[in-house]
Amino acid sequence: MTGPEHPFAALLAEYVAECLPLAEEVVEGALALERAWQEGQSADELFGPLKGTLHTIKGNSAMMGLAGLQNLAHRLEDLWGVLAADPASRDAGAPLFVRGTGLLADLVRGTASGPPPEGAAADYLEEVEAFLASERGAREAAREERRSPDRRTSDRRNPKAGGEVGADGAVATIRVDSRRLDALLESFGEAMIAHAGLGEAMRQLNRRRGTTGELTQLERAMLGLDRTLKRLESALMETRLLPISTVFSRFTRLVRDVAHSEGKRVRLEVAGGETRLDKTVIDRLGEPLVHLITNAVTHGIEPPEERESRGKPAEAVITLRAVQRSDRVILTVTDDGRGLDPEAILRKARALGQAPAVEAPSLAEIFALAFLPGLSTAQRVSQHSGRGVGLDVVASSIRALSGNVSVGSEPGRGTTFLLRLPLTVAVLRSLLVEVDTERYALPLVDVAETVRVLPETLYQVARQGMMTWRGEVIPVMDGGLLLGGGAAESRRYCVVLRSAARHRGVMVDSLLGHHEVVVKALDPSLGRPPAVAAATILGDGRVACILDTGRLADGWVEPVAAAAP
Amino acid sequence: MVSDSILDFAAQLSQAPAAPVIEERELHLVVFRLDREEYAVPIELVREVVRVADVTRVPHAPAHIRGVMNLRGRILPIVEIRTRLGLSRADVTPTSRVVVVEVAGRTVGLLVDAVGQVARVSERLIAAPPEEVRTAGAEAVTAVARVGTRLLVLLDLERVLASTTSNVNSTAPSAASQP
Amino acid sequence: MNPGTFLVIDDSKLHHQMYHLIFSRSELTGSRLLHAYDGREGYELFMAHPELTLVFLDLNMPVMNGLEFLHRRQAEGMHPQVPVVLVTTESTAEDEARGLEAGAWGYLCKPFAPEQLLALVGRASSRLSQRIAHP
Repeated sequence: MTGPEHPFAALLAEYVAECLPLAEEVVEGALALERAWQEGQSADELFGPLKGTLHTIKGNSAMMGLAGLQNLAHRLEDLWGVLAADPASRDAGAPLFVRGTGLLADLVRGTASGPPPEGAAADYLEEVEAFLASERGAREAAREERRSPDRRTSDRRNPKAGGEVGADGAVATIRVDSRRLDALLESFGEAMIAHAGLGEAMRQLNRRRGTTGELTQLERAMLGLDRTLKRLESALMETRLLPISTVFSRFTRLVRDVAHSEGKRVRLEVAGGETRLDKTVIDRLGEPLVHLITNAVTHGIEPPEERESRGKPAEAVITLRAVQRSDRVILTVTDDGRGLDPEAILRKARALGQAPAVEAPSLAEIFALAFLPGLSTAQRVSQHSGRGVGLDVVASSIRALSGNVSVGSEPGRGTTFLLRLPLTVAVLRSLLVEVDTERYALPLVDVAETVRVLPETLYQVARQGMMTWRGEVIPVMDGGLLLGGGAAESRRYCVVLRSAARHRGVMVDSLLGHHEVVVKALDPSLGRPPAVAAATILGDGRVACILDTGRLADGWVEPVAAAAP
Repeated sequence: MVSDSILDFAAQLSQAPAAPVIEERELHLVVFRLDREEYAVPIELVREVVRVADVTRVPHAPAHIRGVMNLRGRILPIVEIRTRLGLSRADVTPTSRVVVVEVAGRTVGLLVDAVGQVARVSERLIAAPPEEVRTAGAEAVTAVARVGTRLLVLLDLERVLASTTSNVNSTAPSAASQP
Repeated sequence: MNPGTFLVIDDSKLHHQMYHLIFSRSELTGSRLLHAYDGREGYELFMAHPELTLVFLDLNMPVMNGLEFLHRRQAEGMHPQVPVVLVTTESTAEDEARGLEAGAWGYLCKPFAPEQLLALVGRASSRLSQRIAHP
């Protein structure tokens, strides 16, 4: 409650001046919504502004230390969410919502003469609580119903050569052994490589003989082949996509079991389970997610007593969310636990000699350190450091899928891991570069820009090469050194890589353009070379390594000087 | 595979004068050359022998991995068996070949100086390796076979390959960046 | 910690007054506060003031929100030396992660206490002086 000791107590009048019109706006919006629904209109356009306004009131109330108002606004937001998502809830929900907005406006108005008394909205909040709980129950029941007829048919289906018969009597869906799909994908990859080989041969022919009638014909045929392969690719990818719920489904149990053995109370919430990803990605996602979720329960989340003493609900929530963004899927694992301690991470990194080059690194730069090998495992013994058991392993398995992972956290409030994953794994858009006569592919999504660099624009700070790029001073590393060879002053091109923490430049000998390459996994005999994610076969039949730009960019090694001084 | 019992058997035979043995067993060995020595691996493990195509270096790969090669669309790790056995690294010459072997479920290529024909060697000619062969990397040498004046060195491929994944190249950047 | 020039971008007038209060009651008193009430206005001020010590940028704003601000700044490479702190209500941590990736130097979550804000300013100033020490 805002007393005279509250830092913003003097601003109470300003609070009312700003929030009362907002609260009245909300009341009007809620009434308009209710009317529209009674008349059978959807009135979707009223929804967005209402939510934003509630959010602002909540934020302002929180800043003022008006917990009762903050809580009320928060619950109204929840109610808003249910009404927006489920038209069936509106008969009972809309009047409740309207009533709540009225209460909100009254309380804001009353604040002019002092903060509202504790429990002013208690009865109403209880009502909302009950309503939300019954809605949750109804939604689950509906989901169950939708699922069960499907289950009945699949039980009857012949598991070996099953199919579903459509209305016209023709077979509408068939079941295919996933190994056949894998074989199909592999053949497609070979076709892509053969296609690249043809293209390469054609270019050489063109160079040697000049354009002839036959060559033009060949080129046209190639273009046709090109288009067909593209279509084939997307059709093939489509058959390989699975909803991510197939991997999510097992975590409810995992969370319950781990929480139980740790003496904690944790609920798992899942959103976006219908988001689809390539089967291979789904298959290989399970392990890193188990890691992150187990870590969240054991290290991230506080014991119930500690949570309560900090004013948090005893039951913690871990949220697993998936959304698709163009050709990527973003997966977040969020907990509302104690969060990462940036100071502890920094200390640990310094102890390991892995401290970042700047003295006051940003939070993003600090959190990126958590993925360094050795750092996270070393943290296991520390009290404050939160989680980190084998985060480097998580990062490398995500990178092996050409994805990347970053983390955001706030002490006391929780942690979010953000995983970006490619929709498909077979074909990667990449930039080909040459370093010491070897060619390497860099995933294009990680390349911010390529620039030609003159040696005099590179300078040294400590043993670190630096360069100014778009007004930002970024570390620059020699490609040869990074890739296990020696530095060379002759390199003239810099590939600027983006990463969670900061941009980094890698010097290369030449740029060979953008290519779509077929991703091939590395044989286990090669160990887990830190700089290499996978390999590919280029148009001329030679193998090129696909570099793990995440590790290059996040400074998997102590950055080395770009050129000998 | 050459098992211990064969070794014991061979050891006994090499001490006793050669006696005619009924139903004598023969091993079929693929013979290849490194410098002037002849080495051999059981033919059951050899999938094929191919010419050396372009080998791509893999940064920070384990020691004794020369790189990877395109074998009909598949990415084949190439084991530098010379350095694995303590010999110096050598350039690829026109006679160089890759012996593609399958060991413990893994398919890898062994880079060798040249490949000879398949030798049929009677089991009784196989003996424990003499002292002078037990040099660096020789824990991978399981036995030798004397064929006329030739001495074939038999390799235990599982041992050869096991160490290629565990040894991390000493030129890894974490080490290289230390002053 | 010395007084400096700070830009506050927030659509809530109340928040501007809060910043004012915090600054006037701390050792930062004497600092210059610039005020903008949406992202676009904020960006114009930001462009005109390369000498800024720190920017407080609200995430949710009607015209050009905080993320859009950061993306534009990143695309244009505008004053990368000026740390920008993203201010959010009830952290959706995904937004924060995205904000950090878009170049935010740090973030503040509402409700925040004056001490939290001052600590951030302290960290930012030490970073600046260090920059000057090692050009």
